[in-house]
Amino acid sequence: MKFSLSDAQIAAEPIAHDAAGGFVVFEGKVRNHAEGRSVVGLEYEAFPEMALSQGEALVQEAIERFGLLEARVIHRVGQLAIGDTAVVVQTASAHRREAFEACEWIMDQLKCRVPIWKRETYASGVSEWVVPGEASSSLVDDEMFARQMRLPEIGPEGQASLAGARVLLVGVGGLAAGSLPSLVGSGIGTLGLVDADLVELSNLHRQTLFASSDVGRLKVERAAVFARRLRPQLAVHAFPVRLSEANAEQLISGYDWIVDGTDSLSTKLLLDRVCQSLGRPLVSASVHQFEGQLMTVRPGGSCLADLFPEPPPDHCVGTCAQSGVLGVVPSLMGVLQANEVIKGILGLPVLDDKLLLFDFRTLEATMIRRTVSGERSSGGSVWDVDAVSINLENFDLVDIREPDETPEINQPHRRVPIAKCYEAEWERPTLFVCASGRRSYRLVADLRARGVRDVFSLQGGVEYLERD
Amino acid sequence: MKTVTIRYFAVLRERRGLAVEQKTTSCETVRELVDTLIAEHRLGLPSALIRVAIDHEFVDPADPLQEGSELVLIPPVAGG
Repeated sequence: MKFSLSDAQIAAEPIAHDAAGGFVVFEGKVRNHAEGRSVVGLEYEAFPEMALSQGEALVQEAIERFGLLEARVIHRVGQLAIGDTAVVVQTASAHRREAFEACEWIMDQLKCRVPIWKRETYASGVSEWVVPGEASSSLVDDEMFARQMRLPEIGPEGQASLAGARVLLVGVGGLAAGSLPSLVGSGIGTLGLVDADLVELSNLHRQTLFASSDVGRLKVERAAVFARRLRPQLAVHAFPVRLSEANAEQLISGYDWIVDGTDSLSTKLLLDRVCQSLGRPLVSASVHQFEGQLMTVRPGGSCLADLFPEPPPDHCVGTCAQSGVLGVVPSLMGVLQANEVIKGILGLPVLDDKLLLFDFRTLEATMIRRTVSGERSSGGSVWDVDAVSINLENFDLVDIREPDETPEINQPHRRVPIAKCYEAEWERPTLFVCASGRRSYRLVADLRARGVRDVFSLQGGVEYLERD
Repeated sequence: MKTVTIRYFAVLRERRGLAVEQKTTSCETVRELVDTLIAEHRLGLPSALIRVAIDHEFVDPADPLQEGSELVLIPPVAGG
């Protein structure tokens, strides 16, 4: 094994080779500063299977490329302190030159090819995953942005505003395929990427940031490489995590503009809430089949929660996986999101008081005026109940799953096919249960619209019935 | 009886199976009409989560239904 990972202290291992006249050992250590900030500690995280196979391939390539007699790399993972050895590269060749060159080449390649992530913890208490960069380019920004700076609305001043802007993309999928290239191309200074997912083959028809060879790799890592390739001067910070209550404030507070590229209503509402409380503008978009929705939310202005205060489960409004989506829909909606951010940075008007509905079949755009809701509606899902907060004894339990669905429910209940439920009379309080809570949610929404009052849906489905 | 036009978006359009329809109804309010549509076509969302716009403005569900109005029904959309 030429490439290995270790969660304990590492050191060079002796290499013996009678034909080798040059042996080079490089040790990379943790230093106490990075880009002007004081670093107190560092953590490396790897996806072991991917890191090992790509590391092994890299070392083998170095051996062939430089005609080495031997090469080895050991990389630390886990928590490291200042002064700890993070990586050891050893090369051996007949003459010293190849050994020196190969050693440096391996270090350069390691940083951009092997999925090992570095999280620095700064003296301020903040910590951040750092994307390894490619070699910096000698491109001159002035020339890159010449056509754009001709616009009287931009000019050198507007370009400087863009260069100073920090933009966070939450969700790096179909929408980001449109927003990321447009934002990076516009010359924003710093880009943050948040997504925990790996690239899947079924993503590629719309998530055109990724190549088929990226399947199985982290979306944020591949998107970071894409962005750096477009503009090497860009600072990219990749966070391979899912946005949650626990990390949202910390992630969002470091950026000026937030772009919602997620595919979950609950995450969209979390973003909406945290952006409002931290005073950050948010550009939100969603897609469904041949349609897109877009809106910009200014701090204190009309927000997503004014429209949809309490969302149903995501699967009840259709996700890309469930309802399907035309590839160009998220891409174009993402480009429109970038347009909002760029205009916002430049101080031009944005879509902060309207909702745009775009129909890709007819190319019809419908704009609906939004206002700040005086009373936030109580939502529509008070009847979507969870097993913990109700007393099951007060309900007739009705299982609406197909006859062959398991597991059986171990409590008194009836099994009624869903079609029959629409015809039956429901006089006593009734709790409907299905496998996931989706069919029961839709059924109860429909029944209640018919005026049936005492019907309820169990969130999460049958599994949650048995949990106590 | 009043005749109105209804435009469906996203999952509502998917469940209804069409984009636009005209309907003659005895419903008095916007909410009553939306509830009728949910029940008739099994739209699978509570009316409180369906926003209705007329003439490019969101309307109050309690508003009276007007002859000849075009109602746009907008559900939450999740995909990305």
